[in-house]
Amino acid sequence: MSVIPAVETSREMACDHGALARGTLDALAEPARRPLRRAAALGVAAGLLWPAQAAALAWALAWALSGALSDAPTGSLWNGAAAPWIALCAFAALGLARAGLASAGQARAFRAAEGLVGSLRAGLVERAGRGSANGSAGPGALAALAGEKLDLLAPWLTRYGPARARAMVLPPAILALALSQSWAVALVLLVAGPLIPVFMALVGIAAREASRRQMVEVGALNDLLVDRLSALPDLRLLDAQDRAGADFARAAEALRARTMAVLAVAFLSSTVLELFAAIGVAMVAVWCGFSVLGVIGWGGWSGGVTPFAAIWLLLLAPEFFQPLRDLAAAWHDRAAAEAVAAELAALENGTSRPLLGAGAAAAPLDGPAAIRWRGLRRGSIRWPDGDIAPGERVALVGPSGSGKTTLLRLVAGLDRPDAGAIEVAGRALDDACADAWRARLAFAPQTPAFADESLRRILTDGRLGTNAEADAAALAPALAAAGAAGVVATLPRGLLARLGESGAGLSGGEARRILLARALHARPDVLLADEPTADLDAATAATVAEGLLALAATGATLIVATHDAALAARMDRVIAAAGR
Amino acid sequence: MRAILAVFRAILRAERAAFLRGAALAVCVAAMGAALLGLSGWFIVAAGAAGLAGAGAMFDVFRPSAAVRFLALGRAAARYGERLLTHDATLRALTALRVRLLARLAAAPFAKLERLRGAQALNRLTADVDALDGAPLRLILPVAAGAATQVAAGLALGWLAGPAIGLWVAGLHLAGGGAALLIGAQAARAPARRAERALQALRARVVGLVRAREQLAAAGRLPAQIAHALDADRRRRTDRARLDRIERRAGLALDALTLAAACGALALGLAAVASGTLDPARAALGPFVALALAETLAPLRRAVADYGRIADAAGRVAPELGGGTAPASPAAAPGRVAGAAALALDRVRFSRPGAAAPVLAGLSLRLAPGETLALTAPSGGGKSTVLALCAGMLAPDAGAVRLFGRDLAAWPEPSLRATVAMVPQRPALMRGTVREALRLAAPRADDATLRDALETVALWPAVALRGGLDLALGDRGAGLSGGEHRRLALARALLRRPAAMLLDEPTEGLEAATAAKVLAGLRAALPDAAFMIAAHRQAEVAWADRILPL
Repeated sequence: MSVIPAVETSREMACDHGALARGTLDALAEPARRPLRRAAALGVAAGLLWPAQAAALAWALAWALSGALSDAPTGSLWNGAAAPWIALCAFAALGLARAGLASAGQARAFRAAEGLVGSLRAGLVERAGRGSANGSAGPGALAALAGEKLDLLAPWLTRYGPARARAMVLPPAILALALSQSWAVALVLLVAGPLIPVFMALVGIAAREASRRQMVEVGALNDLLVDRLSALPDLRLLDAQDRAGADFARAAEALRARTMAVLAVAFLSSTVLELFAAIGVAMVAVWCGFSVLGVIGWGGWSGGVTPFAAIWLLLLAPEFFQPLRDLAAAWHDRAAAEAVAAELAALENGTSRPLLGAGAAAAPLDGPAAIRWRGLRRGSIRWPDGDIAPGERVALVGPSGSGKTTLLRLVAGLDRPDAGAIEVAGRALDDACADAWRARLAFAPQTPAFADESLRRILTDGRLGTNAEADAAALAPALAAAGAAGVVATLPRGLLARLGESGAGLSGGEARRILLARALHARPDVLLADEPTADLDAATAATVAEGLLALAATGATLIVATHDAALAARMDRVIAAAGR
Repeated sequence: MRAILAVFRAILRAERAAFLRGAALAVCVAAMGAALLGLSGWFIVAAGAAGLAGAGAMFDVFRPSAAVRFLALGRAAARYGERLLTHDATLRALTALRVRLLARLAAAPFAKLERLRGAQALNRLTADVDALDGAPLRLILPVAAGAATQVAAGLALGWLAGPAIGLWVAGLHLAGGGAALLIGAQAARAPARRAERALQALRARVVGLVRAREQLAAAGRLPAQIAHALDADRRRRTDRARLDRIERRAGLALDALTLAAACGALALGLAAVASGTLDPARAALGPFVALALAETLAPLRRAVADYGRIADAAGRVAPELGGGTAPASPAAAPGRVAGAAALALDRVRFSRPGAAAPVLAGLSLRLAPGETLALTAPSGGGKSTVLALCAGMLAPDAGAVRLFGRDLAAWPEPSLRATVAMVPQRPALMRGTVREALRLAAPRADDATLRDALETVALWPAVALRGGLDLALGDRGAGLSGGEHRRLALARALLRRPAAMLLDEPTEGLEAATAAKVLAGLRAALPDAAFMIAAHRQAEVAWADRILPL
């Protein structure tokens, strides 16, 4: 059941691919464009209610002003005794409507953003699983990108987009309303307003660069901390924990200084905006005051303005600037999102070497499991041509670094050669047949790493039996053949133990035998084992060798990369991986 | 909340002055904002009244208009200072927090360090510390500054526009804001915690997925494991949607609160004007100030959303901050007892926690300086345990481990580490150059010394081809083969020039010729050192002076 969504996401991913590589935000947001636009429209509608709400308040106050001076208000609805209370009710009702519209817009934007980020995350996790770790970011950096960094796209989608829509509609609308009352106020707004985007652009450029640098460094600092923490026992043994700690303190302090540099620029930009907004509002307030006082006789359409208009203009002026300030605040969300997009693009365009095929379960490839390779080269390592017949037992030997492990990975389709070709079961090993080929083979690596799951799940390749006892019984022969039965017995919860990625205190030899047991349990046609007897005493090594040969006796091909002369001697043939 | 306060106190201790300045400026900013709008409203209405009365010439326009300009500019400046000060103080405190955590963990027992190697523990730690900057910046400072501003605004309104209006505006903001914060934070706590757990699960699964990718692919399990990782994200999105709903409802409630405060103030003002007890300009103060106070409520919405995450992180980090220092180790270096064995075990017993049978049941051995002892046993027979006991990584259940005649527990950590070097079976390397890896062991060694050490372990030729000491290693030493990795760790231990060297299967992954060369090199480089090795290869056993089967 859980496999089906993954297939769907891989299709989604395919259409995101180009957008990711371009690294532009608009391309990233394209799938959610329409719901985001609707969300922004609700925000704009809420903003447009403010002038009406402000008029209601201004009307009530203007009534208080005139009512206080002339004790006999006329009886009309607009300026009778009930007028201020009607205005008050209108003010409250419009305010509630405004809050409701804004909230509805935010809810829609959130839903759209979550959906988009979720599908980007699905694509990223898919590629992280399929890409080669050698050429790309480390697991910590990938996890950070898939986790909290992708989340940084959400504020950009939910804040920047709506803020931009408001900034495009509301200031011109308010300017027009202000112009209807006073050209002087409109002039003040017109002069102060457009300067804001100019400053914003200038400061924004600097902020973006600084923010991008910082994003990269936060990832590096977290990787550094993780790297240090996992090496702590060794650091203690070297008495180097203080030096490593001091190193780390320096890196952390440097990060703080750089973060502050980013923030100082970011805060400066918003301060510039606030300053302009504040000066604009203050000028409007002062002009209005002078105008209603009668000191100034110009600026309105017929001399000064009425008290109602003055109060209304005073309430409108801050809202002229507010969308621009919101946009400026969201500018940094945009900068952060751009940095994430760039990181995604770097990952997309990086020299990753994805494994062949999808790594999925597949029907086994037909035909006898013959293996041959011709003209094979990977990096600086070249291998002499080779042929391995079905059922053959072969030892790969050679000094460390001569390419034994790489050859095994190439044969398993876990890596791609730079030159040359590999044929398996009579056909070229490629993306189309790699999964089917791997369904026939098992791979026991030299440096084991475990996914975050129980030993029982690891050993059965995720195909759990009816209960733990049944699995224990089914696994017992393979564990015994790999010399790993004792290893499982000493683990706190036996087969239910979770090894985690570091192996939960298992020694290298123990972890390797666990994975060898898994390989034997899978009853493959071809077994690739990398140093299966390394770290083992002679007796255990002999047990493991017997287990391997017993599998070979059932007709399976055995390819063993080894330094162990005793093991190599028990194979049919030795291939020297005279690399470089 | 108690944990948040504990973390905040720790942060405050580090940067008290900066925080107090920041808090004072925060109150200034909000108060000046309220004063600006209130004064502007009053000014226009009062000017209007004077204008209507034909008393324009008598009205003092200059003081109010100067005050409006002063408040406008002063507020922007105060805002800048406040932001800069509080962020800098928080970042300083959090940097100190990270460094302090690392230092405390470095002194933790070895068993805890082993547990810390897991991705889950590591992520949690880094993410928690990251989350804690929210405690002062998004929770405590804005809430405290907002409340202070509301009280001040209430007093000012009470004085200028009458106690009823002052009480209404301030009381509603304080009570309503407090209620929204308490109710919202309470409701958001559980989903915030679950969302965070799901994020950690997502991260741990992505890390496991990337690390074990090849094994998963070989077993045809990659898509299933990818779906497993994304399942955590699905759970997280459910809880994030819940959080968003709570946050939006809090926002709606706060908007309604501002509206109620402004309407109430207006109604009270209008009634007072109608009854002739208040002039219209002062009546305008109430609604204008109430609208301006919306600014003090806005951070509450964010605080509601963040509270759960911050409380969760603080709950885990606070215990690590509590007093107490590294476990005491003896201050003075004990003299070596003349003629004593370099290492001696005396009837040492050791069992793993919860295990039925002991790993070691009364082991005794002696190792003289310059001697080489090979421990042999089937895999899992306790060789590594003996080495860990000799290195002080484990403590025996009974019996004694002596180094040059003194009990291991009597050695101060630095002299112990200077005397004993150990290369574990899976030594950890870190990101950095080969030079940096070696300098960890010998900070003052020059390049020639480092190169000699690499020559000794037959690693220099391979390293020299790829950039020499500047060869850059990836995370956990990625880029070296298994045998190279181990030899680099051997060279690192060698540079310590220890009097006793403990090696756990040192030549694993090396072909026989190289293995012999490495072992001979080690002995030649440290002729007087005592070597104890956990051995299973013939080359290692043959190299030893004496063999002890466990």
